[in-house]
Amino acid sequence: MEYKVEAHRIMSISLGKIYNSRVQRGGIKLHKNLLVSLVLRSARQVYLRDYYGGICLSAQQAREWCEGEYMDSEQDKLVPGSTESLPESDGQSEVAVDKQEPSNVVESHAALDVESEASGEQDHAENGVLDSGCSELKTPEESPEASPTCEVSNVENLHEPIVPHTCTNRKRSADDSELTDSLPKKTKVMSSTLISKNDEKKAETEEMDTSNVSSLITIFGSSFSGLLSSEDGAQPDSEAEDSDSGQICCDQMLKNLNPWSTAIVAF
Amino acid sequence: MAGVAGGNDFQWCFSQVKGAIDEDVAEADIISTVEFNHSGELLATGDKGGRVVIFQHEQECKNRPNLRGEYNVYSTFQSHEPEFDYLKSLEIEEKINKIRWLPQQNSAHFLLSTNDKTIKLWKIGERDKRAEGYNLKDEDGRLRDPFRITSLRVPVLMPMDLMVEASPRRVFANAHTYHINSISVNSDHQTYLSADDLRINLWHLEITDRSFNIVDIKPANMEELTEVITAAECHPNQCNVFVYSSSKGTIRLCDMRTAALCDSHTKFFEEPEDPSSRSFFSEIISSISDVKFSHSGRYMMTRDYLSVKVWDLNMENRPVETYQVHEYLRSKLCSLYENDCIFDKFECCWNGSDSAIMTGSYNNFFRMFDRNTRKDITLEASRESSKPRATLKPRKVSTGGKRKKDEISVDSLDFNKKILHTAWHPKENVIAVAATNNLYIFQDKIN
Repeated sequence: MEYKVEAHRIMSISLGKIYNSRVQRGGIKLHKNLLVSLVLRSARQVYLRDYYGGICLSAQQAREWCEGEYMDSEQDKLVPGSTESLPESDGQSEVAVDKQEPSNVVESHAALDVESEASGEQDHAENGVLDSGCSELKTPEESPEASPTCEVSNVENLHEPIVPHTCTNRKRSADDSELTDSLPKKTKVMSSTLISKNDEKKAETEEMDTSNVSSLITIFGSSFSGLLSSEDGAQPDSEAEDSDSGQICCDQMLKNLNPWSTAIVAF
Repeated sequence: MAGVAGGNDFQWCFSQVKGAIDEDVAEADIISTVEFNHSGELLATGDKGGRVVIFQHEQECKNRPNLRGEYNVYSTFQSHEPEFDYLKSLEIEEKINKIRWLPQQNSAHFLLSTNDKTIKLWKIGERDKRAEGYNLKDEDGRLRDPFRITSLRVPVLMPMDLMVEASPRRVFANAHTYHINSISVNSDHQTYLSADDLRINLWHLEITDRSFNIVDIKPANMEELTEVITAAECHPNQCNVFVYSSSKGTIRLCDMRTAALCDSHTKFFEEPEDPSSRSFFSEIISSISDVKFSHSGRYMMTRDYLSVKVWDLNMENRPVETYQVHEYLRSKLCSLYENDCIFDKFECCWNGSDSAIMTGSYNNFFRMFDRNTRKDITLEASRESSKPRATLKPRKVSTGGKRKKDEISVDSLDFNKKILHTAWHPKENVIAVAATNNLYIFQDKIN
């Protein structure tokens, strides 16, 4: 439980930093904001994982769903900087590269059910399935959020109703070790089972009666997209994006400030 | 050339401190960059107020040959002013991010100084003679009445008090959308590179109205941005090679002969992350804040938040040496995130013979590592230990439960006193350490 509070605290601190960066002298610093957004997303993932503490999902169903997706095992070996060498489009490979970050913590999300599986299964199905699948869905339209929302739409379109497992008890330390074991930084290994579980949780996110949390989730959907507007859809790809992003984020944040502060008070 | 204290024959001692003593530090006085020139005769500092101060090493006193000469102010000038970008409604800070000296080619000295957006080439020249005896004007400059002139004379050069003049010779502007973090002069002495968060440009020192973009990592869709460029440097003797580091802890070495746009690297240096140490802040602390080639060009050094790594350019999969700077901070990352200290960008430097490396820490501590003996030392830049030629006492931070005498506990470290910028004389054991608004100069004890 304390991890949830800690994650919450880190999220609010991160939001404060992003907000303050708007008024900082010298303009918005891209590097610092990128790092803060990464922390924010990690914290959000942990927060959501805790939120769904009791929900477990069927691994088998998730795997079946994944097999239906286009698989490209080459994307496992994606190395930053050499994405151009892959036959896929740049947008696709970029999405795949980007996914490395959410997938790290996505796995922690679905840590719940991982423990119940054999540890070998975690290494199973190492593929960029979701990447390619997602990007194919994404590229036709300019959706402001990249991976996770895209995953949601995948789920909603393709997935059959989920039968929740009874969840197994897991210790907090086990969760953490799973989080840390999940990825060495370099390899783009992702367990399709875990990602699909995350999708399902995301689908349920919208249903949950936490409008402030969900709206913040939509803002900070993936690595950096959270700093761009989630309302206006496609952003003009201008050079002023980094400065605009702060403003729009601030507006979004301001709208959510009141419900957010009440949420904080509630904790 | 000896490296690091630890043996009986080598010790660092205080030489000088420059800057105000006041507790109240004006933001503009905070030193933001320190750099020796190639001979070590000149030491330049830039501050947040956009000023550059150059110190010159005066000749050793003939009467007292045991004393190394001191550094005294040679020139001070305002390099950059605050600007306003009307299009984006953004203020451009005048803070000097980097100073790099050009190799000396004549009696004048040249340096490049940069703020977030604009790079300037400054000429620092001496004038110690003045022409006297003009025909058309008086000594005080007033024009003489031409009808009163009855004879011609040839002006004569008379000695005058030494005047050091700094004049901007080139202004390289409008080439960077994002904040410039690095500049590096190429070994061909004709070109230099400048790097911002997403792009690296190659300039010719004579041409200001255009530059070549040689690296562009801006994604087509900014939502997909995952890493930024944090530092870049030209190879010290191969003019076609440069490296740049990223916020993900990776370094890319590029060869400009392969392509005009060096988006694909020649070498890629990354150490696999230790999964057991993963936390919320793993990405932040792996971000590289500085990269420096060794003088030999065989190695390069990178600084991330907690460690310094030495890489062999021939081995890409892991560094050859890793030195922990302040590992005791690993458990404090959350509070360091809150107070923004986790975003501090520490620099690192080599000594002239590449046998030792130095970097800064908090509480005005700085660390030196001897690569040969594997010894390390922590020293402090403080006014208390600022007696002339006083030997610096090694400091220690206590990490365990029991704090020994003279040790400092992690919780009593002052995180506002940070040493981000240090420089090592290219030939001698003289170091310059910037502690907020003070510049400390230390040297080895001459026996």
